[in-house]
Amino acid sequence: MTGIKILLTTGVAFIAVYFFLRLRNSIFDILILMLLIIAAVVFILFPDITNSIANKLGVGRGADLVFYTSILIFWFAILKLYARIRRLEQIITQVVRKDAIDEAEKN
Amino acid sequence: MNLNNPNSVFVIIPFYNENTVISEVIESLVPYNYQIVLVDDGSAKSPIDFLKDIHSVYFLHHKVNLGQGAAIQTGIDFALRKGAELLVTFDADGQHLASDIQSLLEPLQNKEADICIASRFLEKGKHNATKGRKITLKAGRWVNYFFTGLFLSDAHNGLRAMNRIAAKKIRLKENRMAHASEFLIAIKKNKLRYKEIPASVVYSDYSRKKGQSVFSSVRIFFDLVLHKLFE
Repeated sequence: MTGIKILLTTGVAFIAVYFFLRLRNSIFDILILMLLIIAAVVFILFPDITNSIANKLGVGRGADLVFYTSILIFWFAILKLYARIRRLEQIITQVVRKDAIDEAEKN
Repeated sequence: MNLNNPNSVFVIIPFYNENTVISEVIESLVPYNYQIVLVDDGSAKSPIDFLKDIHSVYFLHHKVNLGQGAAIQTGIDFALRKGAELLVTFDADGQHLASDIQSLLEPLQNKEADICIASRFLEKGKHNATKGRKITLKAGRWVNYFFTGLFLSDAHNGLRAMNRIAAKKIRLKENRMAHASEFLIAIKKNKLRYKEIPASVVYSDYSRKKGQSVFSSVRIFFDLVLHKLFE
């Protein structure tokens, strides 16, 4: 086992523990999370697998493939987060507006 | 329903951390007997101290700062509840003239339009904007045209008047400054009859300091892009 493998697997392990402590609400989430963690560990321990997948897709190295897909995933995550922020902003606006109008009606 | 009664005209003034200039603005409006709706968008220091001498105003207060668009929408909601027939939006920094309001109300009273938007560029000598601001506003016309389908002479003017029908159709979702384009989107979408009316914009050192810099237009542009993407 090389240094980078140890580093990455401990990292994944920490993240996994953190997530399991935080969100144990739905079985579906846990299943998805388990899958992702297992996949991550497998890819870290046997990087040749990503290499062969990458070659099939026409990408030179496995590391590059991982890099490209993670960019996509991050884009998606940012959009989802942004949509959520907008929803939250609208809810806050409604609450503050209602409060302002109710207060003014009282006087 | 009497459109000519100034009591059914509600002037909505959103503000955030304004100083005494706003009381001058209110005093300039008082002789016209309009109903005045002040919307404090979460100012750090409540201005109620220097406003308490003027009794004939409605005062609304956002507990947190949301942005001018949100403040205008709160004012519209409140005015509609109070039975407003005609609604006017008016900036708090003294850049508009109270005497211009009547010319915006006239087409509404004559039932020629549902919404009137003030423009500083329709007639000569109606503004003292700097060159940079003029260029930004000219570019803004095209951006607005691209996003809303309306091509107006003034991209971003805080002075507007609308009737009850138009006010009910307008739901500002952009809390910050992109709401000006949302008015245009609502006009286009609901096929409201609109009219541009020449009106003055007077920039003072104070309003320049308080108002938006040329760079805020970049922010507005991105808010508009995101508005199109997420609504």
